Amino acid sequence: MSPSEALTPILDVPEEELAVRLRGVANRFGAVTIHENLDLDILRGETVGIVGGSGTGKSVLLRAIIGLRRPSEGTVRVLGHDVWEESDVGRKELDARWGVMFQDGALFSNLTVRENVLVPLREHTDLPPKLILEIADLKIMMAGLPPDTALKLPSELSGGMRKRAALARALALDPDILFLDEPTAGLDPITAGRFDELVNELKETLGLTIYLITHDLDTLRDACDRVAALADGKVAAIGPLDYVRENATGWLAEYFSGPRGRAALG
Amino acid sequence: MLALTQPQFDIASRDGAPVLRVSGDWTVQTIGTLDETMRPLRDFGGAKPNAVDVHDLGDLDTAGAYIIERILAPDASGQFEIIGEHRAAARLLVEVTKHAKDCGLPVVQRSALTLVLDRVGRGITDVVHETTETVSFLGETVLACGRAIVNPTRVRWLPTFAVAESAGLNAVPIVMTLSFFIGAVIAFMGQTILSDFGASIFTVELVGFAVLREFGVLITAIILAGRSDSAFTAQIGSMKMTQEIDAMRILGLDPIDMLVVPRVIALLVMFPILTFLAMVAGIAGGGLVIVSLMDLSPTLFLSRLQQNVGVDQFWAGMAKAPAFAFVIAIIGCRQGLTVGNDVISLGKNTTASVVQALFMVIILEAVFALIYMELGI
Repeated sequence: MSPSEALTPILDVPEEELAVRLRGVANRFGAVTIHENLDLDILRGETVGIVGGSGTGKSVLLRAIIGLRRPSEGTVRVLGHDVWEESDVGRKELDARWGVMFQDGALFSNLTVRENVLVPLREHTDLPPKLILEIADLKIMMAGLPPDTALKLPSELSGGMRKRAALARALALDPDILFLDEPTAGLDPITAGRFDELVNELKETLGLTIYLITHDLDTLRDACDRVAALADGKVAAIGPLDYVRENATGWLAEYFSGPRGRAALG
Repeated sequence: MLALTQPQFDIASRDGAPVLRVSGDWTVQTIGTLDETMRPLRDFGGAKPNAVDVHDLGDLDTAGAYIIERILAPDASGQFEIIGEHRAAARLLVEVTKHAKDCGLPVVQRSALTLVLDRVGRGITDVVHETTETVSFLGETVLACGRAIVNPTRVRWLPTFAVAESAGLNAVPIVMTLSFFIGAVIAFMGQTILSDFGASIFTVELVGFAVLREFGVLITAIILAGRSDSAFTAQIGSMKMTQEIDAMRILGLDPIDMLVVPRVIALLVMFPILTFLAMVAGIAGGGLVIVSLMDLSPTLFLSRLQQNVGVDQFWAGMAKAPAFAFVIAIIGCRQGLTVGNDVISLGKNTTASVVQALFMVIILEAVFALIYMELGI
């Protein structure tokens, strides 16, 4: 099955082909239920854009997938390993196989950009110091930053450059899967467009799976193979952008048919 | 994850031209051992191979592609020949070539002497800068307080009372407990030493002078410098980081009126009260030790205190309270307002605010001692 045709959250494929596999995930904060019985499959090598209104739990779901907040129920498997199962021996390896770019970059503010990229390289590899520096610089360059950025502190960078630096750190170990939380939020349309191009280019060359949370319709159109819409605690619709758009109801219909949606998608 | 095999390479010859042959897995996890042997090959110049044979290549990532690319020489059009089929080699090598030339920028190294001189110079200018800034901030605050006195309706009373509670009222237990013990320690030590001279009755005067004149106000100042200054700096500093201060300015609210004046007023009011309580607790602590160790009745202790120490000493101590309060409040607020946009400066300024406040309290203490000496109090 080609990823661009899949229209259901659950895919009928062997697990080796899946990068992310969620089953029956529930997230509750006290009496408030954010997700209930949520299923989602993401194939290796595809880019899935996650959309949803405020409060539909896009970030909560991401935190559950990357092991930062334990879901109240359900299983979360990434690259064939159970994220929340301590006894899974492959769980530890996951840290070196995924890259996460947080919404505001979450760069370590007391380290230079180069040192930020060095952190995962030092932690998870045993490369000689010289080579490790060169690889860090290579990643910084691949993220589209000028060479002299390497020695700057995050506070000396503009918002767009910070996002690129965060991307460089996320890419440091050549991850199999990349999680991007609103990568283009707060960027001007031109910079955002370049960022989309960059993501596409990296995906092409590195063969990445990308899980991308966004509100940006241009990003959905330009960078995503499939779009998954969160509503009512589960994946309400999933499929290529056009399919999701045509079958949109409620908040989603408003989202796509509003003036911004029409301007971006025509 | 599948087990990775060690990467290997050799340089073969094909029609007289060198060809790099690579095998095994070339990923960030495996290439560490190869770097040293491959690094010298980078400088071969014209003898570098232009072709790479990827028949036996396993996994490849950008790091692996980078060290392969390093010893290849692109031809005139910037291309190399890739022999054999590999799912990722071609595009990774091309991608890496685009970005690799600027890698490994040297870290700027300077001699130790330059670094020391650099630091000393910066330190001196910092002190000068810091002093002028603090003094000008002091001026601004005095002006704002003046405006507040002329027109008390300008003062934000709600935050003032909130600060008075958190920085003043909530500090009562700790200030009183510490003073109590300091008073007791002074009495205990005085009694031990003075009894050698048969003058242990003078312990009463010792406790009176020490607690009323120095320790009551000093303990209060030290606790408030540690407790409230760090809080002021952290509160105002995090408001600065979230642009709340900018928002105030835009809305026509003066941050000094909004944040600094309430804190100054609150401390000016609460500091003397705390000092008074500290004195009471210190005398009580000292009195308890004296009464129980020296068989002196509480009445006799108090009357001797009244006759030989007198209320002058109380006022001598109390007179310092407003000065300390003002200095502590101003330093805490100023450090908060100078926090930058990063977490490090918040930590640095919080430390600086406590250190500066303690420093200034001790300096003021010395100044007061000199003044009192001249006045003969």
